[in-house]
Amino acid sequence: MDQELEQIRGEAIAALESVSNEKQLETFRVDYLGRNGQISTIMKKLGGVAKENRPRLGQLANTIKKELDEGFKQKHLDFSIIPTTGEDRGKIDLSLPGRRPQAGKLHPITQIMEDVCSIFEGMGFSIAEGPDVELDHYNFEALNIPAHHPARDMHDTFYISDSTLLRTHTSPMQARIMEKQEPPLRVIAPGKVYRCDSDITHTPMFHQVEGFLVDEKISFADLKGVLTVFLQKVFEKELSLRFRPSFFPFTEPSAEVDIECVMCGGNGCRVCKKTGWLEILGSGMIDPEVFKMVGYDPEKYSGFAFGLGIERIAMLKYGINDIRLYFENDLRFLSQF
Amino acid sequence: MKFTLNWLQEYVKLDNPAPEELADKLTMLGLEVDAVEPLFEDLASLQTAQVISAESHPNADKLTLCKVLVGDQELQIVCGAPNVRKDLCVVIALPGTTLPGNFKIKKSKVRGVESQGMLCSEQELGLSEDHTGIMELPAGTPHGQSFLEISQLKDTLVEVDLTPNRPDCASVIGIAREVAGLTKKQLTIPFKGTTLQQDTESFSVEVESPDLCPRYAARLIKGITIGKSPWWIRKRLLSVGLRPINNVVDITNLVMMEYGQPLHAFDYDRISDKKIIVRTPRDHEKQFTTLDNVVRTIDPDTLMICDGNGPVAVAGVMGGLDSEVTEKTTNVLLESACFNSVSIRRTARKLNLPSEASYRFERGVDPGGTIDAMERAVSLMCEVAGGTAEPGGIDVCDGLTTPVTLSLRISKTSDLLGISLTTEQVKDLLVSIEIPCDTVGDDTLNVFIPSFRIDLEREVDLVEEVARLIGYNEIPISLPAVDLSFPEQDSERIKRNRVNEFMTTIGFSEAINYSFYSSGYTALMGIADDDKRSTHVKILNPLSEDQDVMRTNLLPGLFENVRRNVNFQQASCKLFEIGKVFFPLSGESLPDEPTRIAGVLSGQREGSQIPFHSKDDQVDIYDAKGAVEALLEEMRLANGLQLLPVSDGFVEPFAEKDYALNLVNNGATIGSIGKIKQQVLRNFGIKKDVYYFDLDFAALCDLVPEPKAFAPLPVFPSVKRDIALVVPGATPSRDLVDAVLKSREKLVEHCDVFDVYQGDKIESGFKSVALSITYRSQTKTLTEKNVEKAHNKLVKLLTSNFSGSFREA
Repeated sequence: MDQELEQIRGEAIAALESVSNEKQLETFRVDYLGRNGQISTIMKKLGGVAKENRPRLGQLANTIKKELDEGFKQKHLDFSIIPTTGEDRGKIDLSLPGRRPQAGKLHPITQIMEDVCSIFEGMGFSIAEGPDVELDHYNFEALNIPAHHPARDMHDTFYISDSTLLRTHTSPMQARIMEKQEPPLRVIAPGKVYRCDSDITHTPMFHQVEGFLVDEKISFADLKGVLTVFLQKVFEKELSLRFRPSFFPFTEPSAEVDIECVMCGGNGCRVCKKTGWLEILGSGMIDPEVFKMVGYDPEKYSGFAFGLGIERIAMLKYGINDIRLYFENDLRFLSQF
Repeated sequence: MKFTLNWLQEYVKLDNPAPEELADKLTMLGLEVDAVEPLFEDLASLQTAQVISAESHPNADKLTLCKVLVGDQELQIVCGAPNVRKDLCVVIALPGTTLPGNFKIKKSKVRGVESQGMLCSEQELGLSEDHTGIMELPAGTPHGQSFLEISQLKDTLVEVDLTPNRPDCASVIGIAREVAGLTKKQLTIPFKGTTLQQDTESFSVEVESPDLCPRYAARLIKGITIGKSPWWIRKRLLSVGLRPINNVVDITNLVMMEYGQPLHAFDYDRISDKKIIVRTPRDHEKQFTTLDNVVRTIDPDTLMICDGNGPVAVAGVMGGLDSEVTEKTTNVLLESACFNSVSIRRTARKLNLPSEASYRFERGVDPGGTIDAMERAVSLMCEVAGGTAEPGGIDVCDGLTTPVTLSLRISKTSDLLGISLTTEQVKDLLVSIEIPCDTVGDDTLNVFIPSFRIDLEREVDLVEEVARLIGYNEIPISLPAVDLSFPEQDSERIKRNRVNEFMTTIGFSEAINYSFYSSGYTALMGIADDDKRSTHVKILNPLSEDQDVMRTNLLPGLFENVRRNVNFQQASCKLFEIGKVFFPLSGESLPDEPTRIAGVLSGQREGSQIPFHSKDDQVDIYDAKGAVEALLEEMRLANGLQLLPVSDGFVEPFAEKDYALNLVNNGATIGSIGKIKQQVLRNFGIKKDVYYFDLDFAALCDLVPEPKAFAPLPVFPSVKRDIALVVPGATPSRDLVDAVLKSREKLVEHCDVFDVYQGDKIESGFKSVALSITYRSQTKTLTEKNVEKAHNKLVKLLTSNFSGSFREA
C-alpha cells in the first residue's frame, strides 16, 4: 500500500509538471483528484488494510492529496494569470485609446466659486446666501446709498418695482446678517448679481462673493492681511498686490485691490492697459453709518468688507477672453476646465 | 475728468512731469487714471509755412497758385481757400504726410499745375469745424517749424475716473491741489478769496427756493464783441475734447474746467424786466425750449432760472433758446451759482440731458468758490472779448451752511488703520492739501473743513484722508486676532455641492443660464396660462424682450444650450443646472425663489468613445430615469420616493405622455422625467430627441435622508434562479418584481428584471418578462431542494397573480 501510494505520487507529480495547457490540467485533475481519480480510488481501498496501518496510511494519502491539490491550484493560477498565447498577441492594439467612463465637468464659475469659498471657510468664515430679487432697502439704503446718490450711477439696476430690484451686488447680505446677528461675525456671501449692461466685458448676470468680518479692534491692516492671503491662495502664486483709495458708500476708508497682471507678470500689456496691474476686488472698512443702521456701536466695533467678481477671477486664471462664453454652456467650452 | 499736463502746470510747477509717474501717483491717491495719451500726435508731421506769392491759377478762377517757404525749400502749392494771400503764415502738409481721418497727402497736378503739398484748414487738422479758409497762424510765425511745437498743442492728456465723493477734483485746480500736496510744491490759483461788491442797478436776483439754490451770483459785462476765442483758449478746450464755440461760451467752459464751477452766460438784453428769479415753475409753465431748440416738458419740481416773463434756463442743466448768447449779443449777464445736487441730478435724469455742468452740480460744487470762478470769467471776458464789467454784482447766499469743524482722534485713526501715527504727522498730511487744523490736547486735532471738500463730514472721512495721504501701501499687513469658532454651514448649499459633483461623475456637465428669459418661453413650452409657471416676476427695464421676466423653469435655458451644442456637432449632450426659479408671492414684496435641478440628455449615450469601444447607442428615457434614480440614491432618498408613470396623473405639457414619469413624495409630485414633444423641440429649433428631468431641489433637500447604517455582510452563499413569464403587454414589470419582494418567501434577497421581450415567439398583446431572483439564507448554505421549493412557490404566485404563463427559457 505504501508503495502504491508513493508510486501514484511520483506519477502524479511528473504528470503535473508536463501539463502545458488548461486542457491537460483538467485531465490531470480528473485522473488524480476527481471523484473517480486515483487518490479517491486508493482511499476507498483503505477500508481493506490492517486496522493498525489504517491511520498512518490514511494520513499519508491525505498528505499526498493535499500536495497534489496545491500543485494543481498553482498551475491553475498560472494559466489564469497569463491568458495570452503568441497567437492572441497580435489582436491587442495598445495604441488605441482606453475605454473611458464619461464624466461631465463643473462649470468654471462653480469651480472658482468653490475655491474662493473654501479658502474663506478655512479662515473660519461661514457662508450665507441671500435672495436674488432684493429690496431697494438692503441693496442701497442700508448700505448708505440713498435715492439720488451719485453712487447709484455705478450700478445699472434692473427694477422689479419701485422698491424691489435684482441685487446689483452681494453686499445686501452685510445688512441682512448684521441685522440678525451680533458681532463677532465672519461671513462670506456668494451669489448671482445683475446689472443692465451687456458687451464683451459685461453680462447682465454675473457672480460675486461678498465677505465681511466684524469684531472689536479690526483694522485696515487686517483687511490687507486677509485679502493678501486670499488672493495668493486663489491664484496659487506669490502675487504682488496694491491697495489704492477708492470710494464705496458703505466703506470708509475704501480700497480697490489690484494684483500684478497675470498675463504679463506686471510688465504691461494690452489686458492691464500697460499699467502692469489688474483691478480684482473692492473693499474697505465698514462705514459707521452701516453699523448705525443695524444698531452696532461704531465706537466699539469695527470691521471690513470686500466684494469680488468670480467671472473676472476665472478670466484671469484661465485666460478666458469673452465673458459671454460663460452663459452659452457650450460643451467645447465647459470641457476645458 | 480730463486735463493736460501743460494746463496742470499753470497752477503747480512740476520738477519731473513724467506722465506715467504722475499717473501712477494720482491713482495711488484715489484719483484713478484711466488713460494717459500724447495729444494731437497725428499732427506731428505738419510744418509751418509762409506764403511769399499768391496769384490766380491760370486754368481756374477759384484757385490760387502760391509759392510758399518751408525752411529752405520754396514750394509751389495750389490752394482753393479764399483767405490765402501773400505773407500769410500757414500750416502745410507735405507729400507723404497723413492728416486726421487717414487722409494721405500726395504730390499732384491740379488743373494742369503741380501742387507740392496742401495748406490746411482747421477742419482738416481736426481742430474745429471751420472750413471757410485755411488756418491763419499769427504774423511772424517762423516757417519750417513743427506745427505742434509752434502752436503749443504738444501736450499729454490725462483722464481721471473720478469717484462720486471727489467733486473738488472735477477741476484742473482741484487736481493741482492734490498734486501740490503730493509733491510739496506751491499751488498758484489766479483768483482766490475774491469778494464781490454788492451793488448794481442793472438787474436784480431773487431766490425763491434757497434750499434748491444755496448761492446765486451774477455780474453784467457790457460791450462785448462775440467772436472766435484766442488760440490759447481754443487750444485748452480742444485738448480736453470740448468744442470751441465763441469767446463768451468758451470762457465759461474754460473756467468750469479750471475751477469746477459751471457758469452760464445770458444775453442781458433778452432778459425781461432785468430780473432773475430762481424758482420752480408756475402751474402754467409746463414746457420750455432749451438752447438746442428742443421743446421739453418741465416737472413742477424742476428748478428754473426765470426772468420777468418766465423761465430762461433749466438751472444747472441747460440754458434756454430765447436767452442764449448769439453773434449779436453785446451785453452778457454771467451766472455763477450753487444748486442742490439731488435736484439737478433728478432733472438731468428726467430730461436725459447729462452735461459737464450737470455732472459737477450733481456731485456738488464748492459753495465757497462761486465768486472766484465768476471773477476769473469776468476778467477774461474783458480781456479777450472787449467787454467792460459793471463794477458791482449780486450774490444771494441765503442757503449757505456754516463751515464744518471736525475732531479727529489720532488714537482712533491709528487703531482703525493699524498703523501708529503722531499728531504732527497727521496735521502735516492734512495741511498739505489745504485742510487747516489745530492741535487740541495730545490726541486730537480740530480740523477746519474747507468749502471745496464737501465730502468730509465725519471723523472717519478724515481717517480715509490720512490713509490716502500716507499711501495705502505704507500701511502694514496683519491678520485679525479673533476667537476661534466653528461656523454652521447652510445644509442646502452642502447638498448642492455634493450633487454638483455627483452629476458630473455620472456624465453630466454643469450649465449656468441667466436667471431671466423671455416671457414667450412658457408658450413655446406649451405651458398653460393658468399654470403657476406662466405668472412671472417681471423686470421693469429689461435689456431686451428676450430677458423680460425671471425664469420659472430651468428647462428653456437648457434647451437653448442643447440647440447650441447640437448645432456645433456635439454627438452627445448631457447638461444639468441647479438654480433658482422665481414666483411672485401675493402680499409679499419679494418673490419665492425655490431651487430646482434640471437636466437634459440628447444624442449618444457614450459621447467621445470611439465606435471600437461602444455601439452608437442613443440616449432614451431609461437614461433620464436612471440619472434621477442614481441622484436619489446619492442623496439617500431612493426608498422614500416613487417614480411613477404619469398614467392619468399630471403630465408636463412639453412631455410625451407615453414617456413621462413623475417623482412622487407622499402623494405630492416634486418632479418629472420625460421625453420632450416634437412640437416643443421644433419651437426651440432642436433637431434631435431630448429627454429631461426637472426636480424640486429644495424639496429634496428638505427630506430626511436615510441614515447610513451598517448591515453585516452575508456569511452564506446566494443562489440565483431566473424565470421568464408571459404576461399581458400592459403589465408593469415593476409589479412582478414587487410581487416577488413582497411575497412571504423569506429566502428572497433580491429580484431584478433582466429582460423584456415582445416579438415573434410571443402572442400579440403579451410580453415576456424575465426576472432574476436571488435567494439567500442567513443561517446556512442553501441546498438545491430549499431553493427549488421557494422558487416554485413564486412561479405559482406570479402566474396566478398576473394571469401569465411560465415560459421555458
